[in-house]
Amino acid sequence: MLALRRLPRFTPRLAGVRGNATLEAASQPKADTPPPAPRSSVTAQSSAAKDKQAQDAPEDANATANANADGQQPPNGGKARNPKPQPEGAREWCRPIAKGVEPAYDYALRYILKDAKFIQRELKALQEAIAAEEAKAEGTRDEGALQGMRERAHILTVQGEINLPDVRWKARNGLVDMNRAVHRHLVEQRWREEGDLDLLMERIYQMKVVPDMLPELHPSLDLRIKYAEPPPKSNYLRTRVKRKLKTVEPGIFLAPEQTRRLPEISTTVFHTERRLYTLLMVDLDVPDPENQSFTTYLHWLQPNISLSAFISSPHILNSHTRYVPPHPQRGTPYHRYVLLLLPQASPTKPIEIPVFEDSARVGFNYRAFAEQYGFDAAQGGGAHMWRETWDETVSHIYEHTLKQEEPKYRRMPRPDPYADLKRSKKYL
Amino acid sequence: MSSPLLALGKQKLSLRVAQTSVRYAGRQETGGVDPRNEIIRRALYPSNIRNRPSPVGTWRPDVGRRLQRAIPSAQAHETIERAWFLHQRHVRRARAAELQRKFESVKNAMETLRQVAPRLYVEANKEEDPRARSPAEFDLLKKLKGPEKKAVEARIRGLFPRELRIPTDTPPKNGWTYEFTPVARPP
Repeated sequence: MLALRRLPRFTPRLAGVRGNATLEAASQPKADTPPPAPRSSVTAQSSAAKDKQAQDAPEDANATANANADGQQPPNGGKARNPKPQPEGAREWCRPIAKGVEPAYDYALRYILKDAKFIQRELKALQEAIAAEEAKAEGTRDEGALQGMRERAHILTVQGEINLPDVRWKARNGLVDMNRAVHRHLVEQRWREEGDLDLLMERIYQMKVVPDMLPELHPSLDLRIKYAEPPPKSNYLRTRVKRKLKTVEPGIFLAPEQTRRLPEISTTVFHTERRLYTLLMVDLDVPDPENQSFTTYLHWLQPNISLSAFISSPHILNSHTRYVPPHPQRGTPYHRYVLLLLPQASPTKPIEIPVFEDSARVGFNYRAFAEQYGFDAAQGGGAHMWRETWDETVSHIYEHTLKQEEPKYRRMPRPDPYADLKRSKKYL
Repeated sequence: MSSPLLALGKQKLSLRVAQTSVRYAGRQETGGVDPRNEIIRRALYPSNIRNRPSPVGTWRPDVGRRLQRAIPSAQAHETIERAWFLHQRHVRRARAAELQRKFESVKNAMETLRQVAPRLYVEANKEEDPRARSPAEFDLLKKLKGPEKKAVEARIRGLFPRELRIPTDTPPKNGWTYEFTPVARPP
């Protein structure tokens, strides 16, 4: 019997990799970054394909064509500095394995295509029925049945294409077309079920944002924020390296100098029509010495932002209640900062909110505000949060931006039990 | 996922392998030598090949290669899985629809019966106790004895047939009955 020994050509150093590999490792390496916005960067799978050694995942076979293609649509509206030219066919799906390699795959493809055709025929018949019903005069229509038919038509639209491998491949690799219901569905499903929403809600609940600020929060859109990256470790580079923007994971600690400027906000919204949203940013842990408690501070408020599935980087003005950079006071525990994007009561009618003066920002009561203007975070919206602690930058912010004296908090000094003794003479 | 596992998933598995001969690796048992000796020898003096899986499976370097061979493409795997679940869904739905159709059919029939012949409807709605015995059957059972009685008592419509032979450690003393004839059961 002969032993099999691998030729010493490309032996990957797997020192320390002893154990049983699982399929999940090969199939879905988790992306480092949050899920892509429509037309944003291809996932870590294809970035792994840039490494020539990886060859097993089929996405790599497709994505090696994409390896130099940056499907990225950066949030500044597609004006990348060096947009890389994409090779022909890089954005098209092709079979991961050749015909005949895996007969089960060939049969599965045929089965799926047959089923897709069947559903699409059913959808067509239903759409004709809907058109016929809509063609009737206003009074004679059966609105309930029509609504039911429309919902069923939406379900069939998604079901008719959701199993197709090319559709799934495109959705997974960021090549979505938000016009198509199935792509919107897949992107939303990914956001909801593959961990990002769960992470956000975990942080929101663990940091007690939900009972403290809101009674209920059920996000319906994916809100992603980018702030400047932390300063480099060496002082020499601090002023010499341009700070890039880095995505903020919900709940992490940021330095006040990272949040000095406005964040870059990207949203993935799952409705095609334009609706109006209000953005607000609140600090939940501003100390209130008079009441021996904490109060809130409104950092930013911008109503009447129009969002739809086709807008991934909304141009958010700073025209209403202007952005004040977070300034956690010295001596206080960490502050929680919450960014909310709430749907307005009427999706098309802009609302009038009076601009908050600087003195009115402290003690901002979110619950009263929401009740007054009809915001309900339980019905949808987007949220994000992070934490900050004091830094010397805060002193800078107080001096130059807020133009106030910086408060310094600490515990009350203990009464000195020997104060009298110290005052009296010891030796006669 | 830990990064070693991810690395294992991403490793390039070369298709070219070399063969080298190894001592002790392939001794075949010759003639009437007891295979137990071979087993003992293999346990006491294991082969000196270092890239084989460890005996109890704590180290299995070939898993990646075998997985790659079994599932060459994750995308294909997902497609096949989705097709299979789709097929199962169709089968399940067809089964449920057929059952529903049958139920509706019987329900309509019973409704018709209720309108046409209420007394027969009441009779039809009576639940039958499968263990109940009619007087005629009772008399028959009094007459039968032994295996015939057992044969009649064993099978009740809708219940588990009680003719199972209890398994024993040893075979029967009398051996296998080649001349077995089933007991005639009255209809």
